[in-house]
Amino acid sequence: MAGPAESLYIQQLVELLAVVSSSPDEATAVQNAVERSAQALEAEVAAAVIDGNVVASIGFPPGAAPDDEIVAMTREQHSILYVPGLGGCPAVTASWAGSHPGHLVLARWGGPFQVEEQNLVRGMARVLELTLTMLRTLVAEHAMRESLQERQRLLEHLSAIQRAISHREDLQHILDTITDGARDLLGDEISLLWVRDEPDAGQARLASAAGTRPVDRPVVDLTAASPAGEAMVTDRVAVRHGNELQSRMLKLLGPRTVHASMAAPVHDSGVLAGALVVASCDTNRRYTAADEQTLRAFAENVSLALTDANTVVRMREAHHDPVTGLASRGLFLEQLSQQLAVADANGHTLAVLFLDLDRFKDINDSLGHAAGDQLLAVTAGRVTAQLRAGDTASRFGGDEFAVMLARVDGPQDAAAVARRIVTALAEPMRVAEQRLRVAVSVGVALSGTDGPEPTELVARADLAMYEAKAKHRGTGGYAIYCETVPGD
Amino acid sequence: MGEEVHNRRWLGVGRSALTDSAAAATQAVTEAQTGPDPKLLIVFAAITHDTEAVLAGVTKAAPGVPVIGCTTHGEIGVGGPADGTVTVAAIGGAGLEIATRAAEHVSGRQADAGYEVAACVGDVRQPHRVLMLLTDGLVRDQESIVRGCYRALGAGTPLFGGAAADGWRMSGAYLFKDGQVLTDAVIGAAIASEAPIAVGVGHGYRTVGQPMIVTRAADGRVLTLDDRPALDVYLERLNAPPEAYTDPSAFTAFVLPRPLGVQRRSGVEARNLSTEVDLEGRTIGGGGAIDPGGLTWVMTGDEESILDAVDRVCQDARDRLEGHEPIGMLTFSCAALRAVLGDDGIQRECERLQRWAGTMPFAGFYTYGEIARNHGIDGFHNQTLAVLALS
Repeated sequence: MAGPAESLYIQQLVELLAVVSSSPDEATAVQNAVERSAQALEAEVAAAVIDGNVVASIGFPPGAAPDDEIVAMTREQHSILYVPGLGGCPAVTASWAGSHPGHLVLARWGGPFQVEEQNLVRGMARVLELTLTMLRTLVAEHAMRESLQERQRLLEHLSAIQRAISHREDLQHILDTITDGARDLLGDEISLLWVRDEPDAGQARLASAAGTRPVDRPVVDLTAASPAGEAMVTDRVAVRHGNELQSRMLKLLGPRTVHASMAAPVHDSGVLAGALVVASCDTNRRYTAADEQTLRAFAENVSLALTDANTVVRMREAHHDPVTGLASRGLFLEQLSQQLAVADANGHTLAVLFLDLDRFKDINDSLGHAAGDQLLAVTAGRVTAQLRAGDTASRFGGDEFAVMLARVDGPQDAAAVARRIVTALAEPMRVAEQRLRVAVSVGVALSGTDGPEPTELVARADLAMYEAKAKHRGTGGYAIYCETVPGD
Repeated sequence: MGEEVHNRRWLGVGRSALTDSAAAATQAVTEAQTGPDPKLLIVFAAITHDTEAVLAGVTKAAPGVPVIGCTTHGEIGVGGPADGTVTVAAIGGAGLEIATRAAEHVSGRQADAGYEVAACVGDVRQPHRVLMLLTDGLVRDQESIVRGCYRALGAGTPLFGGAAADGWRMSGAYLFKDGQVLTDAVIGAAIASEAPIAVGVGHGYRTVGQPMIVTRAADGRVLTLDDRPALDVYLERLNAPPEAYTDPSAFTAFVLPRPLGVQRRSGVEARNLSTEVDLEGRTIGGGGAIDPGGLTWVMTGDEESILDAVDRVCQDARDRLEGHEPIGMLTFSCAALRAVLGDDGIQRECERLQRWAGTMPFAGFYTYGEIARNHGIDGFHNQTLAVLALS
């Protein structure tokens, strides 16, 4: 699970992607990437080095950038860059491969770059590589295709896709846009996108398709038997001309006999994840180098979309419990700490409720984990239904929940919420086709004049919860923490 | 401070509450000129003043001395905060050197304008240098002005400044340069000294609740937070009153003291959402683009936290003088802070500044945005106090 620092790095990568992918040309993309990476890492200096030359930099007055020093850093000859007015600044470099390999160099006043920050710079170099490859494909297209209309269409397709990715449109919609675009632009009958569900899966499923006949559960094996499988195995574009060389699946999916096909690999966060395929029923169809580059550009857009979509999922997972959707324990404690400071400053009181389900373990053991998870999700819904907008519920782990009431007027106010929760959970729940009853024991603790730490306040609510459990013998109820609880 | 130092580098402050604009300017400038060889007059005039008359009054009192300045949302100075005055800071002495430059028609070419005015730094030779900027607070995308300066100057020159205000009229803020009243403009003043100059900045807000992820953004505005209309998510998190959802002025009044926090590596940056209201589209924005994927928070602050920030900023600026005795400060505080602090609170804010200043003079204004950069490449801020300390 990602921590707050890691989440910030993911955020910065997505921001860079949004900014760089909207650049109209290579020079702007490189300058934007340089400035954006400096901004994200709060570095004073950033530079891009391509083919041994500094092609963009920030942090020096025009004409005063120490280009030789910066280039030397990409050869790992120095790790400290001298910056006028600041002195020696620790530097970090990351390289990218592809048709025009290059380096991103950053230097920052103060301490050296952390390992996570070095990883972030590597990720940024990768984003820049993808964008540059795409822009170069456009330029290559420009040179190769005579028709202005064709060029315009490619540009429109690619920029619509990039916009859809950076605007976070629905992933399926983005993938469909890409397969439609590839088919339209290459003038073929069929376009397919195969994606592996798991990184080590031996098969890929059809994630998006255009121009195909319906087929029951289409999958391809990761073998050289199909162009998609070949692209996924070799991580290269696979081209097949002649109907006898086409795969069984393409024969099934094609509206007529397929005579040519081409597949390009796609990646998720740098890992091979699937293949984008176009296929033609035209007996004379021959894929050219330009066609190959166009397909690659579309495949790279799939890679960007997949990487970005999973980034969003990871961001959410970092802060929320996947079963209930409630705040994670870490997030809850962080928020509690902030709200305690607010309550302290404004002189109002905050309450923590600690909840423990009384029959959860029996249900989990007898009906299985899936039913247990379902029960937890229903419980979470009922608990949050009792709260106000500023309050927070979290799953602490197992069958334990914690609730923060951001502002209460006293113990009776918190007790009223606890009562509501006990009553709400006493109602039978429909889980795994059975009507189940659970009870909840709730411990209540209030922030007071002694300014308890967040963990101490939760510990007090936990103690009170045990008192409630003992008092009501597991039939549901609440208790309020008071200093005498331990000896009570 | 010895007489010898005073003759080499001095800062003086004058203020006049006269309603006659020319007379007020003459009086404030005369009072501010406390040393020999004045090099620059920095004029802060209430929006209620006749700007042409203010400049005429300034010229009358100090003919030939370079002038920069702007209109305000309140003037800060020795004696406390004020509304309706002309407040002037004068700096001079043989140990200080000044060069100024202005760029006009800034809207649409913010970065280029910043790049142009930064050229004044090339006209000064003293070893310690700062570029001071005064911008028109009604021009959008002020970050790009600062970025343009950074592109021109690089990491070695700290930046300091503020955005001219118009007392919340939002109809026109004005800048002054040597007898000219400018709008849609930016002014740069290279301040160079034989002794250290320091910049400090900070805000007194803290984050509340869970972070919100920017799920859609376009044209510098946040469309959705956590996949829901940004404006609704933001107001719900703050338990806003119903009228804030429907009435633009209620929205402005409610969000003014509650900035949006944007996560950055070194902390959470506060953004003012009150000026660019979009109740129809349910979007939020202000103080520069926030990109998709960004982590954001709702923020609150109170008098205590804001006054604590005054201490932190002054302490930081003083520490950066490397042990040199300060001779005076310029203090630019955000206009939005007035909404949190109230009239009594800004009095205490100035008392806190006075405590740090001791016997040395200070002056400034309530801005529509503060500029301060020591490290990194960004330097435009909302809801902060920015301080320039000269030694």
